[in-house]
Amino acid sequence: MNDVLVDVRDVRKDFHVGKITVNALRGLDLEVRKGDFLAIVGPSGSGKTTLLNLIGALDVATGGAVSVFGQDLSALSRRRRAHLRLMSLGFVFQAYNLVPVLTALENVEFVLELQGAGGERRETAMSVLDELSLGELSSRRPNELSGGQQQRVAVARAVAAKPRLVLADEPTANLDSENAEALLRMMRALRDEHDMTFIFSTHDPLVMSYASRVVTLRDGKVISDEQKNSGPDEHRRVN
Amino acid sequence: MRVPLLAKFAVRTMGRNVRRTFLSVIGVGVGCAIAIFMTALTMGSGEMRVRAIAESGFGHLRIVPGGWERTRDNDLRLADWRAELAATRSMDGVRSATPHARTTALLAFGTRVTGLEMLGVDPEAEFAMNRIVRMISEGRYLEPSDRDVTVIGHTVADRLEVELDDDLLLTVVGKDGEMEYAMLRIVGIVNTGVKDIDGTICHVTLDDMAGLTGLEGAGEITVMLDDPGILEDAASRLKSLILGGGDVLTWKEILPDQGGDSESDKAFMDLLSGIVVVVVVLGIAGAQLTAILERRRELAVLIALGMKDGQLVGLIFLEAVVMGVLGAVAGLLISTPLVRYTATTGIDLTNLMGGEFSISGVLLDPVMYSDMGPWMIPLAFLIGLVSMLLAGIYPAWFALRIDPTSALSLREA
Repeated sequence: MNDVLVDVRDVRKDFHVGKITVNALRGLDLEVRKGDFLAIVGPSGSGKTTLLNLIGALDVATGGAVSVFGQDLSALSRRRRAHLRLMSLGFVFQAYNLVPVLTALENVEFVLELQGAGGERRETAMSVLDELSLGELSSRRPNELSGGQQQRVAVARAVAAKPRLVLADEPTANLDSENAEALLRMMRALRDEHDMTFIFSTHDPLVMSYASRVVTLRDGKVISDEQKNSGPDEHRRVN
Repeated sequence: MRVPLLAKFAVRTMGRNVRRTFLSVIGVGVGCAIAIFMTALTMGSGEMRVRAIAESGFGHLRIVPGGWERTRDNDLRLADWRAELAATRSMDGVRSATPHARTTALLAFGTRVTGLEMLGVDPEAEFAMNRIVRMISEGRYLEPSDRDVTVIGHTVADRLEVELDDDLLLTVVGKDGEMEYAMLRIVGIVNTGVKDIDGTICHVTLDDMAGLTGLEGAGEITVMLDDPGILEDAASRLKSLILGGGDVLTWKEILPDQGGDSESDKAFMDLLSGIVVVVVVLGIAGAQLTAILERRRELAVLIALGMKDGQLVGLIFLEAVVMGVLGAVAGLLISTPLVRYTATTGIDLTNLMGGEFSISGVLLDPVMYSDMGPWMIPLAFLIGLVSMLLAGIYPAWFALRIDPTSALSLREA
């Protein structure tokens, strides 16, 4: 299918802790389609973050195949995986992880600089901040921003280069419900307006309520895959 | 021009842990300062050594007859020494040139005899160039019109138990191998305070030398340069001026012991500087590694965002460069007063050396001066940057091994 962005087939991932082998993923299958606002849920240790790491080309599966935008990630070199992350993927982290010595604007611009964007990158970064109503925070450093503001800047950084897929690891875990809801509305608007696909790893019921699809993991396997027609305030979106 | 964010990132990182940055900068600065100070002393003592050699009558360069370097035969004479002397004196970069002729002689007074190497000189030129002969303690130095007179060293006078205006019996081997005798009146006694030198001085005019030995002219032309730094260039230019088949020797060839000592001193100081730099590098590498360890999550995030290996290493080295520049500035601030003091006041080794001393007939000053100059700036930056870049290698390698998956979780990287 042409609108399948991520295709995970019979993926296994083992971790070796001393002499013990931990089977984090045990033959997991998953397809992520263009426009999905997908929440991956499950108890701690179920494999959510491991799956996100594999899809984000941050780690390599022990077995099976992970294909992103039609590219088999296991066949890519370290350098090619870095290139894929830089050019086509966006990341939002639970702990915001903004560069502390750069301002909000510079944090967004930094990714564009890494991409090798030309002289207009500052204007591009500023327009992204403006679009997300963060323009007035552009000159502030992360320690001058609230948690919610930092996470919104982190989203701006993730989407500045207009990636096709954004991976968000517990993005609302450190936010109060008001900030969490604002963040989710912002991300959903980005999906709608820029045709982006979002994958969340989360425990947060609020994220699940906004998701168009909820995949539940347990013991490294998918135990349910629920397609929802709408979330709060969401008009139906046909995938 | 817009400053790349990578550069801003590197510069601002210095402000994260001001105390560590300060200590690292001081560490690099002290290393730079020690290396600069040692280099300044080496250069200063080297310059003093060359000046002492030149002013002890050896000059910077010497024009000798062809074959002299191999045989060291003092009976050899330059073919057209007057023309060569004139050409040498007119050459750019030559401060002075003076002709010499040498022969082995026996001096006797009563029953006392001493052997030495007698030197025939042009009195005016010699007095201007040779600081030893300006140390006349009794009488005067030679004059161009002098005949059958000599200036001797204080130790020679002591050995022979002679004083001013005494007549010495001189014995030399003449041109035909016959013994030649003459009486020389003492008109001056030189006292440098160094027995090794005062025991070798016996000067006569070139004309007297020719009359005594039967060998006309000069056996060498001693040349002093305005700038000893152009030694090799001046030697080759001088060589092209000599048409009579002579050779041009540098002071290192005339006094190989002194040249070797100079190289040894430089090598020793370079080794000490190198050891200091290695110690500094190891210390700073530890601090840099600690800084990287503290930033593992941040670097993991950058890797996760797609920062390539080259960009990551570039960031680490850029931070090292910033630290190196600050360290170089600190090094200059620390070393400049020390170098300035030793360049102007000097380190007085009189108590250690017991006054002026000599090595291979060269009268050396017991006060050691350093050389202060613009060369300190590039040296400071070279040492600062090289130290920091070396110190950054292991932390950079460590950074490349950071697991980017730690960016997506709260696990330690």
